[in-house]
Amino acid sequence: MTDQTPAFDRRMIEALVCPVTQHRLDYDAARQELVSKPAGLAFPIRNGIPVMLVDEARKLDD
Amino acid sequence: MSLVHCACGQGPYNKGKELDRQGLMSDDSTTTTHFGFDTVDEADKAGKVQGVFSSVASKYDIMNDVMSAGIHRLWKDAMMDWLAPRPGQKLLDVAGGTGDISFRFLKRAGYGHATVLDLTEPMLVEGRKRAEAEQMADQLDWVVGDAMALPFDDNTFDTYTISFGIRNVTRPQEALNEAFRVLRPGGRLMVLEFSQLPNDGMQKLYDLYSFNVIPRMGKLIAGDSESYQYLVESIRRFPDQETFLGMVRQAGFENAKYRNLSMGIACLHSGWKI
Repeated sequence: MTDQTPAFDRRMIEALVCPVTQHRLDYDAARQELVSKPAGLAFPIRNGIPVMLVDEARKLDD
Repeated sequence: MSLVHCACGQGPYNKGKELDRQGLMSDDSTTTTHFGFDTVDEADKAGKVQGVFSSVASKYDIMNDVMSAGIHRLWKDAMMDWLAPRPGQKLLDVAGGTGDISFRFLKRAGYGHATVLDLTEPMLVEGRKRAEAEQMADQLDWVVGDAMALPFDDNTFDTYTISFGIRNVTRPQEALNEAFRVLRPGGRLMVLEFSQLPNDGMQKLYDLYSFNVIPRMGKLIAGDSESYQYLVESIRRFPDQETFLGMVRQAGFENAKYRNLSMGIACLHSGWKI
């Protein structure tokens, strides 16, 4: 992380749920993803901002 | 979003402009929606809206000031006057883009928390660069998300705002339903959006201004006339005050009301989750 790229704020994990199932999310720090197991989706965190769009999420089966 | 050129009303006016400018005409067999005056597949609208706002993000604030002669600031202040933020409240600011509404809310509240959600990542990145964002960093969260599928639990927020954003949502009724879901009982919805002028003469003047002047200014300042052309057309498409009030009620909101701003160029809708 550089000064221009604020780190993801871990408190946000508490605030966010999966937009599809509304279940809680797991934070994958290494991949910078928020993982929704029930939906089979991993939502990316870019520039410290979680991207909670299904179209942008990685499918876990892939 | 906050552009002040209103082409209010959804009258017979329909520009015979070329469709399929970007190869996105749909056939009749799929569900379609409006993208400005174009008809596009519902599935394509979000991506196109993202394209528009990614394109204008860095010049967005200055364009708003130039095009509205600063009036969008007065409207946002009027929104805060009616909303009357209180200390400690939690705001969800949908289509919050560059943070304009959230910063105002937090300043008025004294302290509180605002979650800025936008479909478009570059708008949020711009917002987070602003001085207010640094000053209030511990009271702000920034999230890319869809107004029709919010990534939040039920009964989470005290206030939900959407300012010049709901007309860009593919299915505005679903966004209102989601607003109702994530608000706490006692929570409040406030929508600021372009609306309709009460008489035809005034509306014609606005059409002239918005369809001729705005896209050209967009080209001059932001180097992008098509995005501003879309904004103008999308305003013209949006439901009038009473129709939208019905949609707010349909989502479940009580004591739903609206107030016209600048004679109806813009309008505030308010509703409570009781």
